Amino acid sequence: MNSYQDYFGQFGGRYAAEVLRTPLDELEAAYRSAIADPAFRAEFDRVAATYTGRPTPLMHAANLSAACGGAQIHVKLEGLANTGAHKINHVVGQCLLAKRMGKKRVIAETGAGQHGLATAAMCAKLGLPCQVYMGAVDMRRQKPNVFWMELFGAEVTQVDSGSRTLKDAVNEALRDWAGSFADTYYVIGSALGPSPYPAMVREFQTVVGREVQSQCRAAGFEPDALIACVGGGSNSLGMFAPFLEAERPELIGVEAGGRALAPGQHASRMSGHGVPAIAHGYKSLFLTTGDGQIAETHSVSAGLDYPGVGPQLAELGRTGRVQFTTASDAEALDAVRRFARGEGIVMALESAHAGAVALAEARRRPPDQHLVVNMSGRGDKDLFILARELDPARWREFLEREAASLAPAAEAEVRS
Amino acid sequence: MSGQGKGRIMTHLVASFPSWEASLEVGRGLVDGGAAYLEVQFPFSDPTADGPHIQVACDEALAAGFTQERGFALVEALRARTDVPIAVMSYANPIFQNGVGRFVQRCRDAGAGAIIAPDLPPDYDEGLYAAGKAAGVAVIPVVVPSTLPERLRMVVTGADTDWVYAALRKGITGSYTEIGEDNLAFLRRIGELGGKPMAGFGIRSPEQVAALAPYVDYVVVGTWFVELLRRERGADPRTLMAEAMAKLSAQGS
Repeated sequence: MNSYQDYFGQFGGRYAAEVLRTPLDELEAAYRSAIADPAFRAEFDRVAATYTGRPTPLMHAANLSAACGGAQIHVKLEGLANTGAHKINHVVGQCLLAKRMGKKRVIAETGAGQHGLATAAMCAKLGLPCQVYMGAVDMRRQKPNVFWMELFGAEVTQVDSGSRTLKDAVNEALRDWAGSFADTYYVIGSALGPSPYPAMVREFQTVVGREVQSQCRAAGFEPDALIACVGGGSNSLGMFAPFLEAERPELIGVEAGGRALAPGQHASRMSGHGVPAIAHGYKSLFLTTGDGQIAETHSVSAGLDYPGVGPQLAELGRTGRVQFTTASDAEALDAVRRFARGEGIVMALESAHAGAVALAEARRRPPDQHLVVNMSGRGDKDLFILARELDPARWREFLEREAASLAPAAEAEVRS
Repeated sequence: MSGQGKGRIMTHLVASFPSWEASLEVGRGLVDGGAAYLEVQFPFSDPTADGPHIQVACDEALAAGFTQERGFALVEALRARTDVPIAVMSYANPIFQNGVGRFVQRCRDAGAGAIIAPDLPPDYDEGLYAAGKAAGVAVIPVVVPSTLPERLRMVVTGADTDWVYAALRKGITGSYTEIGEDNLAFLRRIGELGGKPMAGFGIRSPEQVAALAPYVDYVVVGTWFVELLRRERGADPRTLMAEAMAKLSAQGS
């Protein structure tokens, strides 16, 4: 596969306002030169080994596999990467590119906060000022990540427009970039947006799939199916990419089934609900109102409730190379608990959607089959959501005690 | 060059903001006050190329029940009441999703002579330019000072209309009479390519209108009217817009 594509079938493109055209053209040229430069790749690999924490382990979930009584489940523990999710991979690549391009400032949008967190961390490491746009709703449900981003020295800007979630943060970041591109690099958070972003993010994430390939080989099996959750598509494409041109393994993308597959209650674009649409600079499958507007969505996980899917995944869904399914809010929460109890790992709510499908697939397949599920993120960031869902009474008691113990003087001290 | 020094003003309104009926009154008031062109923006949920004022206006218009058909009905109603040219401004998806040809046809039938689509540039236009040509509706390209020379030539000379929508660099300083050499050089380049610029940069005073007027065919005033409407919630929209518009063109004509 080439390292750059503008379109993937009919999807993709650069449907950007003219003010973004020059920076996107410039970015394409810089990316194509960097990705072809062995020195740039070597620097990416060096940071991956010494900072990101690569390779991340591939773990056999022996207990859950036995409990399911079917196929073997293996978990790619991508959430063990520094800052807790796969996002760090494309952030390292893009921030090194920003440096190479001589940019003096970095901006990013974030949904769950994992992309913003990774960007803030890498900017701290590289000494670049960083501003992260985040919807007000996401800031509320992912408060711990806001705290960490600020600890890394990033400025987190609350977005109050529209649905106040990821898509609105994307809009705000694009607005910033339109006026600031001369000295500013926009680190996009998934394999979407105007070209060259979808191809670039996929390339930087492909390291995950390459590791899976060699780790499966080292463990002595060929995977029968790879399973990953799909928000925009960065973790799934990263894991799937090295396998796309082969016929096997099966590739399964899991979208947010939310509360129900009714309008506004889910974020499943690939299960027949999405339609070809153009927004945020690219053409793909989006959830829309039918009258041309982008629709509201819902998921318990902030990282999966974006209304559009990355253009390459939309095309892979059309060709059938990637199959799509959904997991509901409740199934994801249940999977978090099962992987915690059974295997001693805490999946992020996003990744737990894939975990839920892995458990279901394992049950209906024979024991000699091998499934690899990507734990794209670890669940530390979801403590407040999980505790509220799984243990509300004791959690409330704890929070009240904590709040009461925060005297005004102590609060002032923490903030100074 | 045609239109030089005329100080003609192209004004902007968001369809169905603050309501469908009020947006009709806004359009009539702008024309009462001397607007020479109406740009009717169809609200979109994700207006990436607009600032926060327009985004909020779009959100409110959508909450107030805007649909594409209501938008075309507004254009029709304005067409029946004024003679000034009308352009429909829309983001890509509302144009694309139910068929580019259909959207262009509906614009023409409603009486709009032009379409401005900021995120459907000539090389990613989904057939909009060809559909406009076939239907006799001008598709006006958008350019900015950072557009590189080769691309500027392609965009300006490739379009079937001489009109060019130029979004100038903001940051007009001091007495609001300084346009800035980079903006002027940009407008000159458009003129040399045979383009007739309609241009703005967040204009909010008659001095700014007067300063820009000599260099463009239409001075574009957009956000300022939306800001006024958001601030003066209780006012009669037609009177409010007529007075604001008249004040704006006082020194420009």
